Amino acid sequence: MFSSMYAGGIAGMKAYPVRVEVDISRGLPGFELVGSLGKEVREGKERVQIALKNAGFSLPVARITVNLSPADIQKEGTGYDLAIAAGLLACMGTIDPGSLAETAFLGELALDGEVRRVNGVLPVALAMREAGIRNLVVPAENAAEGESVSGIRVTGVENMKEFLTYLQAGPEERSRLFSERREGARQGGGAGGQEKRGTPDFSDVYGQESARRAAEIAAAGFHHLLLAGPPGAGKTMIASRMAGILPPLTDGERMEVASIYSIAGKLEERKAGSFTRPFVAPHHTVSPQGLAGGGRLPRPGMLSLAHRGILFLDEMAEFSSETLEVLRQPMEDKTVRIVRSRGSWTYPADFMLVGAMNPCPCGYYPDRNRCGCSDTQIRRYLSRISGPILDRIDIVAETAAVQLKDLRGGEKGESSAAVRKRVEEARQRQKLRFGNGPYRFNGELSGRDAERYCALGTGERRFLERVFEAGEMSLRAYHKVLKLARTIADLDGEETIGTRHLSEAVYYNGGRKQFWKGE
Amino acid sequence: MERFSDGEMEAQQPYAYWLDGTEKISGAVKRKLLSLFGSPEEVCLAKKERLAPFLTDVQIQALKAGKARGEEYYRLSEEGIAFYPFYHPRYPERLSHIPDRPFGLYVKGRLPEEKKRSLAVVGARNCSEYGRYLAESFGRELAGAGVQIVSGFARGVDGLAQEAAVRAGGSSFGVLGCGVDICYPSSHGRLYVEILEKGGLLSSYPPKTPPLSFHFPPRNRIISGLADAVLVIEAREKSGTLITVDMALEQGREVYAVPGRITDRLSDGCNRLLRQGAGAALSPAQLLAELEQSVWRGMGGAVERDKTERGKEALSEEEAALLELLEVTPLSPDGIRLRMKESRTLRDISLPDTMELLLGLVLKGRIRQTGGFYVRI
Repeated sequence: MFSSMYAGGIAGMKAYPVRVEVDISRGLPGFELVGSLGKEVREGKERVQIALKNAGFSLPVARITVNLSPADIQKEGTGYDLAIAAGLLACMGTIDPGSLAETAFLGELALDGEVRRVNGVLPVALAMREAGIRNLVVPAENAAEGESVSGIRVTGVENMKEFLTYLQAGPEERSRLFSERREGARQGGGAGGQEKRGTPDFSDVYGQESARRAAEIAAAGFHHLLLAGPPGAGKTMIASRMAGILPPLTDGERMEVASIYSIAGKLEERKAGSFTRPFVAPHHTVSPQGLAGGGRLPRPGMLSLAHRGILFLDEMAEFSSETLEVLRQPMEDKTVRIVRSRGSWTYPADFMLVGAMNPCPCGYYPDRNRCGCSDTQIRRYLSRISGPILDRIDIVAETAAVQLKDLRGGEKGESSAAVRKRVEEARQRQKLRFGNGPYRFNGELSGRDAERYCALGTGERRFLERVFEAGEMSLRAYHKVLKLARTIADLDGEETIGTRHLSEAVYYNGGRKQFWKGE
Repeated sequence: MERFSDGEMEAQQPYAYWLDGTEKISGAVKRKLLSLFGSPEEVCLAKKERLAPFLTDVQIQALKAGKARGEEYYRLSEEGIAFYPFYHPRYPERLSHIPDRPFGLYVKGRLPEEKKRSLAVVGARNCSEYGRYLAESFGRELAGAGVQIVSGFARGVDGLAQEAAVRAGGSSFGVLGCGVDICYPSSHGRLYVEILEKGGLLSSYPPKTPPLSFHFPPRNRIISGLADAVLVIEAREKSGTLITVDMALEQGREVYAVPGRITDRLSDGCNRLLRQGAGAALSPAQLLAELEQSVWRGMGGAVERDKTERGKEALSEEEAALLELLEVTPLSPDGIRLRMKESRTLRDISLPDTMELLLGLVLKGRIRQTGGFYVRI
C-alpha cells in the first residue's frame, strides 16, 4: 500500500514543498526513513510511531518505507512528523488520501499526541500557495502565522485527536473545523496586529538638536550613522527612537520580515510591533556567527533580524574586530551569505546601521578636565572601527553631554510622528527620482552615480572646492558629502542642492576627521 | 685644555664623537678626562693603565669598544648631521654657561642664532583646546616678531607652538630625546621636515639613539638652556614641563606662565608657578614688550614687525555676532545654539542656517571644526 502527502521544507530563506511518500509492504518487518535527512527528521520515526500507538493505531508488522522527496536536498527540523503520520494512516486505510491531494502538513508530534509548534510556518504557507496547494495543517500555536497569508486555508490542530478529526472529516466539513479558534487567533494577530503602544518617542529627547537632525537625515536617505559622545549624552536614547521615524513597513516588507522571524522562531517577539521596523541591538559580546547567522542548521542572525529596520551597535568600539568585519559584505550586498560544508544559505540583511561609541577610552574627550587620555590612546581606541566599515558610514555625529539647561528650560523635542512625516516625504522624493532603477535611497548611491544624481550648480561646486581647499573635507569624503547634501535638500523639499545643504553635509562629515586624522 | 686650530679640530672630531658616544661615562667625567689628557684622541687611544685611575674596568671596556663608532664619524655629514663638542667654536654660547652642559650636541638643520632672541615654549602633551589655542597664537605671533621658538618637539603644546612658528615664517628649534635622525613622535613627520627648513633639530644623544623614556627629562635642561626665557602654556601639577622650569631657574632663565581657570587641572601647574612668582603671560604682545624691557634689553636690532597678519575677509553682521559667542574651548552646535537663543540677532536662525554660518566662519579662517565641535582660532 502506497500513499503520498505534502510537507513544507525550508532551505535558508526559501520554503519548498516536500512529498512524503509512504509505502507499507510485506517483507522483513522494519521502519525505514530516507531522503537526505537530518537527525531530527530521522528521530521523527519514533515520535510518530508512539504518538500513533497512544492514539490507538498500532503500525502493522510489515516493511515500512518513508521517502522524503526531492531526496537530494538536505532536510532538517521536526516539521515533517504530521505529514509522515498522515501518510502512515492513509496507507493503513484509516483515512482517505484522495481528499488530501491539495493539503500539506507541518508540525511536530509529541509522544502523547500533542502537536508542537515549529519554525517557519509563514514562509511555508507562502511557498505552498505558490505551488498550488490549497490547505495547510499546522500546529494550533502557529496557526495565526499562516493565516496572515491569503489564498491558502490554514488550519491549526492542537493534538492527535483534532488531527484525526480533520483527516477523517469530509472536504466540506474541514473548512469549518476549529473556526471559533481561528477568530480568536486573528485578533491576536500573526504577522498583522496593531502598532505597539508606548514605543519610545523622539519627544522624550531634550536638547541634542544636531544629533536628532543627524538621525532624521540618516532615516530619510538610508545613511548609516555613527553617534559619538560621552556617557549620558543620549546616544542610546536617540538610536532606540530611530525605528519610530522610519516609514511603517509596507505589506510586502512586513511579509519578508515576518518570514525571517518565523524561520528564526522569533515571531512571537515581533507580534506586537509588526508595523514598526525591527530594532535589533546585539550586545557587544556577540559572536560573528551570532551576527551573521549560522550554526549547524543555519539560522538567520542579528543582521537578518534587522532586515528592513535598524541594527544598533551600542559601544561599537567594544565589538571584536572580527565581529565588525562581518558587517562589510552585508552592508554592500544587503544579504548575508553563509557557506557550510553542506551548502550555502543566503539571508536578506537590508538594515540601517546605527552605531554608538565613546570618543575615547574614558569617554569624556574633548573635556580635558575629565579626560586624561593621550592622543595615542584616543587614536588607538577610535581605530577599532576599521576604515572599510567607516567608509560605509555616511554620518558621524558627535553628541555633547546634555546640560541641565536643556532638561529644565529646554524645549521638548519634536514628536516621532512629525519627524516621520518629513522622512516619508523625503523618501517619496527619492522614489520619484530613482524610479525602478537599482537605487532606492541616496545613501545607496555609489561614486559615479552620486555625481549624476547629486548634480551641483557652478556656484555650489565652487563652494565645495573652497571647502576642500580649506582642508575641511578630504577627497574620499566628496561623494559622501554629495549624497548627504542630496538627502538634506530632499528633506527641505528642494530639487537643487544649495550651499546651505552642503554646509550641513560638511558638518556631519566632519566628525569623521576625528577618526582619520592625518589624511 | 688648549684651543685647537681648525685643522686639528677636524682631526679630533672622530675621537670626540667616539668619546661622546660612550654611554657608561658621564659628561662630567668626560670633560675631566679631556682636561687631563689634552685631546679626545689622547683619551680614546690611551693605554688602559693610564685610564685606570679615573675609570672602572667596565667604563674602560666601553670606551675601547667604541673604536668602530669613531670610524663612522664621516657618515654623519652624509646624513646632514653636524656634531659639536662643548669646546667647539660653534657650540651654542647659551649652553656653555649652564650647569651640566651636554658634552656634545648633534644638529640636523641649523643651530639657533646667538644674536637673535630665543624663547622656550613648553607645555602639556595632552593639552586642551585652550592650550592648543595658546600654543598656536604665542608660537605664531612671537615667531612672527623674530623670536626663535625652542621646544621639545613633543605632542601637544611643544609641537603646536613649533608648528605655528615655522608656518608663520619664523624659526624654531626642537630638542629631542632621541637621535636627530629619528622622527619621534612619528605623527610629527610633516613638522620634522618643515622645522629642518626653518630651523633645526638638536640632541645630546648620538644618531640612532631610540626615544627611551629616561632620555627626555635630561633634554629639558637644553631646551631652557638654549632660550633666554621660558614660557609655560599648560601643565598639570606634576609634569615634565615643570622639570624644564626647575632647570630654567637653575640656569637663571626668566619663567613666564599663562594663567588658566583654577578649576582646570591642566592649568594647575601654571597657576602654581604664578603663585610662586613667575611672570604672567597674558598675550603675545604683552610678553614680548615685557621681555624687551628685561631679558632682551639692549639687544641689538629692532624686533621685526609682524609679517603674518593676513588680510582677513570681512564678516557679515550675523557672522560677527556668531563669532562673539564662540570660544577657544570646543563647543558643539547644540551648545552654540543655546547661546544663540539668548542673543537678540541670532535667536531665530535654524540649525541648518547655523551650520552654514559656521562653515562660513571656518572658510574665513576664524574658527575651526574639530570632530563635531567648533573652536575659535
